[in-house]
Amino acid sequence: MTCCRKSQPSELEMAELYVKPGNTERSWNDPPQFSYGLQIQAGGPKHSPLTKRVAAPQDGSPRVPTSETSPGCPPSRTEPMDSPVVESETLLEDVLRPLGQALEDCRGHIKKQVCDDISRRLALLQEQWAGGKLSTPVKKRMALLVQVLSSHQWDAADDIHRSLMVDHVTEVSQWMVGVKRLIAVKRSLFSEEEANEEKSIITAEQNQTVPGVQHDL
Amino acid sequence: MATYLEFIQQNEERDGVRFSWNVWPSSRLEATRMVVPLACLLTPLKERPDLPPVQYEPVLCSRPTCKAVLNPLCQVDYRAKLWACNFCFQRNQFPPAYAGISEVNQPAELMPQFSTIEYVIQRGAPSPLIFLYVVDTCLEEDDLQALKESLQMSLSLLPPDALVGLITFGRMVQVHELSCEGISKSYVFRGTKDLTAKQIQDMLGLTKPAMPMQPVRPAQPQERPSVSSRFLQPIHKIDMNLTDLLGELQRDPWPVPQGKRPLRSTGVALSIAVGLLEGTFPNTGARIMLFTGGPPTQGPGMVVGDELKVPIRSWHDIEKDNARFMKKATKHYEMLANRTAANGHCIDIYACALDQTGLLEMKCCPNLTGGYMVMGDSFNTSLFKQTFQRIFSKDFNGNFRMAFGATLEVKTSRELKVAGAIGPCVSLNVKGPCVSENELGVGGTSQWKICGLDPTTTLGIYFEVVNQHNAPIPQGGRGAIQVVTHYQHSSTQRRIRVTTVARNWADVQSQLKHIEAAFDQEAAAVLMARLGVFRTESEEGPDVLRWLDRQLIRLCQKFGQYNKEDPMSFRLSDSFSLYPQFMFHLRRSPFLQVFNNSPDESSYYRHHFARQDLTQSLIMIQPILYSYSFHGPPEPVLLDSSSILADRILLMDTFFQIVIYLGETIAQWRKAGYQDMPEYENFKHLLQAPLDDAQEILQARFPMPRYIHTEHGGSQARFLLSKVNPSQTHNNLYAWGQVSNCQEFEEGPGYFFKMLLLN
Repeated sequence: MTCCRKSQPSELEMAELYVKPGNTERSWNDPPQFSYGLQIQAGGPKHSPLTKRVAAPQDGSPRVPTSETSPGCPPSRTEPMDSPVVESETLLEDVLRPLGQALEDCRGHIKKQVCDDISRRLALLQEQWAGGKLSTPVKKRMALLVQVLSSHQWDAADDIHRSLMVDHVTEVSQWMVGVKRLIAVKRSLFSEEEANEEKSIITAEQNQTVPGVQHDL
Repeated sequence: MATYLEFIQQNEERDGVRFSWNVWPSSRLEATRMVVPLACLLTPLKERPDLPPVQYEPVLCSRPTCKAVLNPLCQVDYRAKLWACNFCFQRNQFPPAYAGISEVNQPAELMPQFSTIEYVIQRGAPSPLIFLYVVDTCLEEDDLQALKESLQMSLSLLPPDALVGLITFGRMVQVHELSCEGISKSYVFRGTKDLTAKQIQDMLGLTKPAMPMQPVRPAQPQERPSVSSRFLQPIHKIDMNLTDLLGELQRDPWPVPQGKRPLRSTGVALSIAVGLLEGTFPNTGARIMLFTGGPPTQGPGMVVGDELKVPIRSWHDIEKDNARFMKKATKHYEMLANRTAANGHCIDIYACALDQTGLLEMKCCPNLTGGYMVMGDSFNTSLFKQTFQRIFSKDFNGNFRMAFGATLEVKTSRELKVAGAIGPCVSLNVKGPCVSENELGVGGTSQWKICGLDPTTTLGIYFEVVNQHNAPIPQGGRGAIQVVTHYQHSSTQRRIRVTTVARNWADVQSQLKHIEAAFDQEAAAVLMARLGVFRTESEEGPDVLRWLDRQLIRLCQKFGQYNKEDPMSFRLSDSFSLYPQFMFHLRRSPFLQVFNNSPDESSYYRHHFARQDLTQSLIMIQPILYSYSFHGPPEPVLLDSSSILADRILLMDTFFQIVIYLGETIAQWRKAGYQDMPEYENFKHLLQAPLDDAQEILQARFPMPRYIHTEHGGSQARFLLSKVNPSQTHNNLYAWGQVSNCQEFEEGPGYFFKMLLLN
């Protein structure tokens, strides 16, 4: 059973923890949009960090405001700045080849129609990528996805596919479901193979000859 | 006092229970004189990462009218292997599996730290979760595209063996047959005619009886006959085809003439959805998710006609009895909601439009079934997209937080009875010795059904003390309640959560101080607020306010210390100090004041109020206000205009909105760009601090709040100004003509207090 351990978050993974402003044209006071990574971090509903209250004075008198500082300029202090981040190119081939290979591996084991469907969607991915329709973060995430897929980290691959669907649905929705299915098929195929391997090891051990005992063929 | 706060907090963390009174008045008469009823807020599925479920069935009391679950309050004879039920005193034999128990080898359910415990039930085959999307196609192009994408995205968030279905509607209603073969078929219904469940099932070809829950061969995975799964297929089979189907959805093709609204058949669409699930998967966890971009305009359940010049009803129209369609529409949706609850399913409504969509008439659908109500301006907004994503959020074990098909039962010791519950539930009409004749909320029963719930869902449960005046305090001096919640976990396991709690009885005459010290003003405020909001369903607004004021006056009279001649001498003990403030803000809140809100907005606010836990409910009643400055760490400040200062940044959380307000000086500094200068880095940090805190809240809360970033003099500052109490506008009672920076003629709590005392 493979174990997916996320090592120290890489620069690539950290890039997907972003906040975008909301859609202020279509609605009033739309809240900012958090990336999938940030939402997962939040871990779901918990008590608000700010929950304290101050009791009103019992004599009912309004509080006198504290004196205000003169509006010259704010108090100052310096601190070091962050270093800039360097980016590198992601190649279409690096992504499409492993995916194509994965599909070939599964070809005999799944229905033809499903296979064709996945293949069609991979072709769509290629078309959109080559046509410059996919953004850099999507390309980078896809490179990471095929990487973890090749090392059989199924949960991680699934998580990356989900993060792409959540953060970049407009770009990926047409073909991502094919990648999702590919991950699922590869995963079940792999566990089947492992199970078969284990079975054959066990039978081999059972069939091992013990010295001195005759053994029928 | 500190110890009681700790006690209250520990109990809430462990059992998910907050009582209005933690020491109980021992007689009926005295209890009614306490004004605030004995009641509790209960979160049945409170998240307990430290509580592993036990893998066996609970042990029940053998008395047929009792059947309480074995709990730490029971007396146990380890040698004779007997236990005495603490509710009915029946002596019960332990089952054979408990033969090995002893004082040093106790089963978990007898240990005090397991006052709340969860059992996993192994009976029957697990049934998959079901999600039925009911989608309005009368949307703008952008909106429809955004909604389609959100639905496609959700297919990646659903578990692979969940069943999913699709109904689209506009002028007609289309039920889509999902298949893996190329051609997609659908059944089309007229949107004007309502159909009975049977008619719907006949027309969809669902006349075969549903498969029994237990499979014939338990070892095999659950198989469904083909007839019932044409419309509801597992994700792992149908995701690719459904993604394409969703991608190909078009706007409703019927042209909308100038000056008209699109013909939207929401009532029939919902009716068909309910009928479809009723006929195929009754009594298993399912969500009907209605996505709508405008009001229903034709057929049963229509809320407004198609003429744009006739606006949808406002509160004014309703008061003047000028809302033509309201009663009939409400009745239609109530009928659907009750049927859905009886089937164990829940209905969510996702309404995104700039005008009202009929949430007032449709509110019973989420309210009775435990479904969600989400209200936004457009499907193409972060508010909708992220709120929708959060429905599929997972807990620490990687399971969905949502749970289904819960039945909640309350048992009480003899001196107490159950008067009712307020929350997202329906009554199961179960009579019994625990049921009081006086009703508060949904009463006349000791069992309720909550078809859709999550770890924050909270019910208010109201009790009645029935012990007669001057009757001796019961032996042992403690009363107890037990809450047993059967439910379907999102992993499809069936589970039972049992919470048993006890509190001391006390004689009010001799121990008033004791009882006072154990008052939980926060819980009391929320419980009274729920009662008030419940009353708005059947009473006029001003009457509810009068009732609330009367209760506050009576409470102050009972527990306040004052000299009759001198209003300034009035004092309340610490455990009551925040309560009047809560009541002051409650009466101005959108839950009791419909002014400035549409009927849909009021319904939306009330929907969320009636189900949130204590902390969130209090935020709704009295928003939190924190002040950020150079003078120290962020601190809570009074929700008062005196907290608005030029050199402060304020963060206000009303639950539905997060407001960040820059004081005048801060705003000037920001405009001057000091935050970009390296030597003023700490100003940059000051500006960032409330943003970070706001982000923490925005990241987690369901539904996602609106976000307002404003400053002194900004038009959006009105969100802050309308919530703070305007103490600085009225320095004396006679200055009515003053124009303030807050609502005119608004009174602060000081004046309010004085008026109370003069009564």
